[in-house]
Amino acid sequence: MGLKTGKQVGLAALIAMAAPLVLPFSVHGEVFELSSLANLYEGVSFDHDMHIEALEDDCSLCHHHTAGTPPEEPTCIPCHKNSPEADSPACSSCHLIEPFSSANLAISEKNPLLHHKAKPGLKAAFHQNCMGCHQETGGPVGCQDCHAMTEKGEKFYNTGKYAPKPHTETGHH
Amino acid sequence: MKKLNRRNFIKGSLAGGIATVAASGKAKKASAAGGDFGGYPESMGVLVDMTKCVGCRTCEAACNKEQGLPEPDKPFDDYSVFDEHRHGGLPRRTTEKAYTVVNRYNVEGRDHPLFRKFQCNHCNEPACLTSCFVNAYTKTPEGAVIYNPKVCVGCRTCMVACPFYVPAYSFTSAINPVVKKCIMCYDTRLKFGRPPACVESCPQGVMTFGKRKDLIALAHQKIEGNPGKYVDHLYGEHEVGGTSWMYLSDVPFDKIGFDMHLGKEPIISYVKDFLAMVPMVLCIWPALFTGFHLLSTRKQANKEESPKA
Amino acid sequence: MKKLIAEGFQPIDTLIKPNTNNPWSWKDKLFLGLSPKDYMKQLFRNPFNWILAIIYAVGIPILVGRFIFGLGWATHGSYDYPWGLFLGWGLFVMVPLSASGFMMGTTVELFGRKDFKPIERLGLLNGLLGYFFAVVFLQVDLGQPWRLVYPMFVSLGPAAVLFLVAWHVATYLSVQIAELVPATSELMGWVKPKKFIKSIVLGLTIAGIILSTLHQGALGALFTYAPGKVHPLWYSAAFQWFHFFCSSIFGGLSMLIVVSTLSKWFLQWRCDANFSKNLDKITLGIAKGCSMALITYLVIKLVALAHDNEWGYLLTSWGQLYIFEIIAGSIVPLVFFTMAIRTGRAGLARFAAFIAVFGIALNRLNTALIAFNWHLYQEIPHWREFVIAIMVYATYIVVYRAVLYRLPILYTWQGDSK
Repeated sequence: MGLKTGKQVGLAALIAMAAPLVLPFSVHGEVFELSSLANLYEGVSFDHDMHIEALEDDCSLCHHHTAGTPPEEPTCIPCHKNSPEADSPACSSCHLIEPFSSANLAISEKNPLLHHKAKPGLKAAFHQNCMGCHQETGGPVGCQDCHAMTEKGEKFYNTGKYAPKPHTETGHH
Repeated sequence: MKKLNRRNFIKGSLAGGIATVAASGKAKKASAAGGDFGGYPESMGVLVDMTKCVGCRTCEAACNKEQGLPEPDKPFDDYSVFDEHRHGGLPRRTTEKAYTVVNRYNVEGRDHPLFRKFQCNHCNEPACLTSCFVNAYTKTPEGAVIYNPKVCVGCRTCMVACPFYVPAYSFTSAINPVVKKCIMCYDTRLKFGRPPACVESCPQGVMTFGKRKDLIALAHQKIEGNPGKYVDHLYGEHEVGGTSWMYLSDVPFDKIGFDMHLGKEPIISYVKDFLAMVPMVLCIWPALFTGFHLLSTRKQANKEESPKA
Repeated sequence: MKKLIAEGFQPIDTLIKPNTNNPWSWKDKLFLGLSPKDYMKQLFRNPFNWILAIIYAVGIPILVGRFIFGLGWATHGSYDYPWGLFLGWGLFVMVPLSASGFMMGTTVELFGRKDFKPIERLGLLNGLLGYFFAVVFLQVDLGQPWRLVYPMFVSLGPAAVLFLVAWHVATYLSVQIAELVPATSELMGWVKPKKFIKSIVLGLTIAGIILSTLHQGALGALFTYAPGKVHPLWYSAAFQWFHFFCSSIFGGLSMLIVVSTLSKWFLQWRCDANFSKNLDKITLGIAKGCSMALITYLVIKLVALAHDNEWGYLLTSWGQLYIFEIIAGSIVPLVFFTMAIRTGRAGLARFAAFIAVFGIALNRLNTALIAFNWHLYQEIPHWREFVIAIMVYATYIVVYRAVLYRLPILYTWQGDSK
């Protein structure tokens, strides 16, 4: 009864290519490349220094409780209000690249803490964290404002040189 | 599993090829439908938190590539599609070329527009499945509602039956027109325990993939944990018997095109009144009308007998 | 044909050529005993055939186009409106109008009302052809018509209402063919088949009742799959099947009156005295059946309104359409039927039957097309859809007429006495 057709499009590569994020950076004076997930888009040149300045040294605005500051999310507070600084404040130390792989789903199923099941994957964590703030503060919000689309991305989005030829046929309504 | 066995049994009983047997088999199915199937306990699902969607259409592109669908009319990063309307001023819908679409809703009192992803909701008791007379649809234990184009006759009753207006049909094809709809990436991903392409591609983490029962608990916790943020309703938890895809919103669902009048009953329950009548007619009618015949021709029979006597 | 009759032509109604001992050949039977040349002449003389020629000249290329370019080219079938005129008219209107077969079978064979005998075969034929062309319409509409037998033998979905419709229509078609074997046997001079059918006619009739009850109802039940799409005034989970079944009773009977009237007007030469003399009396008898079915139908419609508490909808514009349908399509014919029965005017009953047929058509089109997707938008079928529908319906009329010309439907076969 199963469908045997349906092309295997290598979308898996989108995420699987990403290597664990190891960022050699100090807290200040760095512009570094967030490129572990780069695939459809190039990596982001992230000016850490400028963000620290803009946020007036309030690390917790981005690093929830991992930088030793109290968490902001109401659902996190009950447990994490006294949590110490984490071993690594990097996003990737908590946020998984493949949150919904069978292995990771099996782990999260055993976790009785429901909130952790809602923990976004790494890509989502980046975007939610950046976009949430950018929308409020007037930072860049367009996709290509932060990272340029790769050729692979143009193919994926049928845009740029892969854009569909304009035609008058409107298809079936 | 029970359901499948029963279907096989009916298949066997139909081998005789007598219409009346088929009809009584149907009656059995009717009672099976009466005993609320309720879905496979371990089935997977997707929780869509629409408050997070920014309308980037990456999921549409991912679906297009994963399912090998034809080239779109416009690029997937062209946001003018949000201003497009189909017949009747309605927003875009799923088509034979797109199994999922994202629509924009400008809701009064909300700072930003709300974006709603639309695709097959993968019902626990799908109307398409129960209305199909060639059994082209299957609800897999993983939760997907899949479709077998090799047996489809093209009657399009499934499209009439689907309360969400999901199945599309390749009306343009004369040789091999088939139903086109989201199958939750069953063949290429779900079967192997991986999430659908749209879920994985989403940059905003709008969609959470997991066991349906876990997602329900998670959704309610999200609603309770963020007082005032969400509307206190998990769309799809109960609608038409429950769906594998479920939605959280921060504006009332009826303002963003969700049908709030579908009720909790699966569509098949509306057909039950008729299905229950079938065995009755089959059993009672022959006796009843033979009786009528004997009664109404009694005089004649008497007449014929009396000269002999 | 009128001219030929005036000239003293006698159409075939016996096995043996008059004044000879030779049986009629199949060719004679085909041409009604005329020479091929004379037959063609009468064909060309008939203005109705010229109208048909125009319909086919336009319709055939478009029908061919439908199978070359697909449904999207020929119809306005869309994702929101999967069904159009082919099913709306061809299936949902034609099937109830063909309920006459089982009604007449029941009346004559089961209830022993031999006074309806002269019209029984017309009723059976009306049923058979109506069903057959409903299937033709279905074949035009199906995406993959060559898979028609799939629900029977390849992949079975017995939980579906349409499964029941498919099986029952197929079985019932065979029953109706069997019921018309006697008429064919007479023309062909067979003896055994007629005798055999006569011996099982009661069984066939009861099978006909069961199958008709179920699939007429099932066509209604198909719409119970779409509780949110069909307007509540035309939707009733509890009574939908009964609305469809009950209305098919007066629909089929009214269609029989209509067809017999048309035969009386246009095929007078083919009707024998037994048919013509009894027709007024029979028409009034059928009118009685119609009026009873109509009253039942109206009561159940009212009960359904009350059951689902839909009174409020009557004040909307949809309510106006509903009220129009009920008054013009059911109450007016009911009044005329009743008056006709009271005063014994068969002409009035015929008029009422025409209106009742219109009422059924309106009800089915309302349910399947007009009040479908009432909260979305209304779709007007493509002109090519109309052309194909008209052409298929014209074919129905052509076949109907051809059979009435030849088989002993409107006249009694004289061969039996010999």
